[in-house]
Amino acid sequence: MTLQTAAAAAETYVPGRDRADVLRRLLLYVLVVCVALLFFVPFVWTLTTSFKTIPDSVNVNLIPHPWTTSAWHDVWTQYDFKTYIKNSFFLALVITAANIVLGGLGGYAFARLKFPGREVLFLLVLGTLMIPDQLRFIPVFVMLTNWHLIGGFTGYILINLVTAVNLFFMRQYFLTIPKDFEEAAKLDGAGYFKTFWRVMLPLALPAISALIILQFQGTWNDFTWPLILFGQGNPSHYTVQLGLATLGFQYSTLWPQICAGSIIAILPVLAVFLAFQRYFVSGVVSAGVKG
Amino acid sequence: MGEWSLRARERAEGRSSELMSAISDAVRTPARSSMRGVKLREALWGYGFAGLPMAVFGVFFLYPLAYAVYISFFHWGILGKQSGGAGTFNYAKVLHDPVYHTALKNVAEYTIGVVPLEMGLGLSLALLINSKIRGRNFFRSAFYFPSIASSVAITTIAIYILNSDGLFNHIIGSSTPWFTTASTVTWAIVGLNAWTTSGTIMLYYLAGLQAISTDVYEAAALDNTSAWRTFRKITLPLLRPTHFFVLVVFGVGALKIFDQSFIVSHGTGGPNYATYTPVLYIYRAAFTTFDFGLAAAAGVVFFVIIFILTIIQRLTVGRPEAA
Repeated sequence: MTLQTAAAAAETYVPGRDRADVLRRLLLYVLVVCVALLFFVPFVWTLTTSFKTIPDSVNVNLIPHPWTTSAWHDVWTQYDFKTYIKNSFFLALVITAANIVLGGLGGYAFARLKFPGREVLFLLVLGTLMIPDQLRFIPVFVMLTNWHLIGGFTGYILINLVTAVNLFFMRQYFLTIPKDFEEAAKLDGAGYFKTFWRVMLPLALPAISALIILQFQGTWNDFTWPLILFGQGNPSHYTVQLGLATLGFQYSTLWPQICAGSIIAILPVLAVFLAFQRYFVSGVVSAGVKG
Repeated sequence: MGEWSLRARERAEGRSSELMSAISDAVRTPARSSMRGVKLREALWGYGFAGLPMAVFGVFFLYPLAYAVYISFFHWGILGKQSGGAGTFNYAKVLHDPVYHTALKNVAEYTIGVVPLEMGLGLSLALLINSKIRGRNFFRSAFYFPSIASSVAITTIAIYILNSDGLFNHIIGSSTPWFTTASTVTWAIVGLNAWTTSGTIMLYYLAGLQAISTDVYEAAALDNTSAWRTFRKITLPLLRPTHFFVLVVFGVGALKIFDQSFIVSHGTGGPNYATYTPVLYIYRAAFTTFDFGLAAAAGVVFFVIIFILTIIQRLTVGRPEAA
């Protein structure tokens, strides 16, 4: 029997939409909605708590009674989240841009340009993926201390200029672009840099979008390195995550304020996620190692 | 003389005619004559392009690897290398430290608890999404979202919900402070991280499910195979590459846990060392006792443990790209 007839036969034998089938689909929807609610209750609970008063924050009413925005006001001014947000955005934008350019340059070189030692150097790049961040804590801290780069942004930016994951990701994408584009550029007299910058990088836009999203999220959410590099220093250099952790440590019962801070720490990533869901999903699966 | 001049002229003419043909060749096929020049130029640009990222990897990844090993053999404080020679004393200290043993035990418990749970949850979510429901994109995003929210915010929210008079205790009618009780804190973190990572695992399983050919399901339907049997005999075995990939990546990831332990214990590893993990050990050795030599040694030990596990995985499972 051929495949088509098998499929056709299978279709004819499927019973009509009987009661059991409808019931099963109904149960499926109930289940999926329940799970989704379960996943979202903590976020909703946090959001409404941020509009509660402190005494009201330990009650089990979802709706605040009374409503107040004082927690948001406190977080913004007294606990200086406006500075933390500025710092986090600055670092995320600079580091993401650096990763696009350097990851793109390296990825293009390893995908397309031939030079002696290319394979060995590429193995070295992949080798850095094996080095856990945890091993780098101490040597990098000591190095940056010697260079007087602890407590400022420069050190943090330097160590995050480009990651092997991003370079690898860009290389894989460049490999999929047909060579015709570069040859056409060459015929038009474009040099190597111009070919890269004006032709190949724009063609890699889908890969760049995925990189932007994952790197922005990674830097925005990063806690450990800011803790090590800025944690002992002046709070004016704190990131949102560091500020939120510190707020929780110092005032562990100011629930409305802590909840407002948590929402702030999540919101930009949520916005980016809603705007670029498609890239997120494909990026996570293809970047693989990023986890 | 005349003969010589004639030969010279011939040679000169020959040369010039060679030159002429070379020029005309170059005009016709510019690449051939300057092949070596082009190759050299390409190689130089290659080094130029790859050079910057390679410099970053060299200075901030490969050099620190060697530097960490170097530091680990010395008494090294906040002001740098201290007097006293090199030795393996830091390694002896880490390997004989009961706190480090507790940290290893904690992280083993946590990993064994969290990995099967998040894999089971991730697979269940993927099956739900894959069952041709309406709004699957919405539900996929909803389940995935906790994975991308910051670990600090997620942990902070969990602390609020699981505190002694929090929402969770109101629902189950208890007053256990889950994150500050030594016997419950590991399981509270297991639950928390199962919630936040199952969405990512769901994505991998969805990709795995979509890679399974529909033919096998059609054949099963033809045989009137029950849904459960189809799942057990077809879906589950065909997802093997995904199982292995997820197991390895998230297993190693679980060993590296730090943020959650740090935040629920305010960086102390308490109560009663219950939230101490190998990474928190490194952090505290360096930044609360300022013993960088010990911290570096703990880092090297941790690296070796992960490296060995990765090698075992490579040998037994194959490359993760197979997923």
